Amino acid sequence: MVVLRIFFCPKMRVFAVIPAYNEAKRIASVVEHTCKFVDTVIVADDGSSDATAVVAEQAGAVVVRHAQNCGAGAATMTGIDAARSMGAEVIVTLDADEQHDPRDIPSLLEPVVTGRADIVFANRFGQKNHIPFIRRFFNAVGNLVTFATTGRWVNDSQCGFKVFGPRAVREVMIRMSGYEFCTELVRETVQHQWRVAEVPIKVLYSQYTLAKGQSFANGVKTALRILLRSFLR
Amino acid sequence: MLPLTPYQIIAPLISLFAILYVWSLVFKQKKTIWEGSLWTLFWMAIAVIALFPPVLDYLAFVMGFKDRQNALLITFLGVLSFIVFYLIVRLEELEQRQTKLTRSMALKDAGLDHKRTGSPEGKAHDQGR
Repeated sequence: MVVLRIFFCPKMRVFAVIPAYNEAKRIASVVEHTCKFVDTVIVADDGSSDATAVVAEQAGAVVVRHAQNCGAGAATMTGIDAARSMGAEVIVTLDADEQHDPRDIPSLLEPVVTGRADIVFANRFGQKNHIPFIRRFFNAVGNLVTFATTGRWVNDSQCGFKVFGPRAVREVMIRMSGYEFCTELVRETVQHQWRVAEVPIKVLYSQYTLAKGQSFANGVKTALRILLRSFLR
Repeated sequence: MLPLTPYQIIAPLISLFAILYVWSLVFKQKKTIWEGSLWTLFWMAIAVIALFPPVLDYLAFVMGFKDRQNALLITFLGVLSFIVFYLIVRLEELEQRQTKLTRSMALKDAGLDHKRTGSPEGKAHDQGR
């Protein structure tokens, strides 16, 4: 396991941050597979009512727990803060529902390790993936809203699989609590003038993942919150 | 040229100050250039409408307003919209505070609280801001 990590990222301390909400059935597998590619895995349990935190801890993750559900953005930022305090130089964020394949971590780390990028966005549309039309549509809308509010185009702005290089780890500050944090991160790249890279990844959609995905109403709510926050900031 | 009404003087002045304020935030890196541009467009539209009210005639024609009563109704709707907007802003602030508190508690419980994170938020916290 460690050999894999040393091979891909020999000098930097790489942490993985996994925001999780009621993922007791899947979190162990995600943590175990992610451990092969990073030094430490941090699970930010976002007020789960099941045994997510206990299972993640048993699987070898460091767990930080929200007393109540705050949203994916808040959980991600808590995980990033925890990683920073433990000396993280590079942070990988990924979803807890097995949608992302941890074997993609080395290719996502590559632009940061070689010094080409401060932040790396995974791109689910960069290679042949079986993605339902409705998902493609929602992501296209998300990309458009993100572009309208930040002025930067990212091919898959709403994907939770990302790598933060040393500079981004130092400077990132997410204020949005929900899914709109993905757009806020794109804004951070503009604000701090981070170098951006995009890497195609595999995506594994199961019935469970699809059922858990955002509804149209949630998408509209997220878009409105993004617009509102962009004016309030 | 017709004399300017007080509204036609005050509204563009407010717009000017708002635009200057927005760009001061851009220079302080609290807003991006994109956001600054969006706000500038918004306030310029306010100023243009105040200085050249006939612009609204076209809008009234397009939207079908015919008399002052309608205009009054629309104005009150505007005021109500502002109140709703203000309430949403306050709710957002409260939600942000609550989230911040929950996050701080989580980090503290894990022994990884702000003072040791070196994060921008943590540094501000350490400096008593």
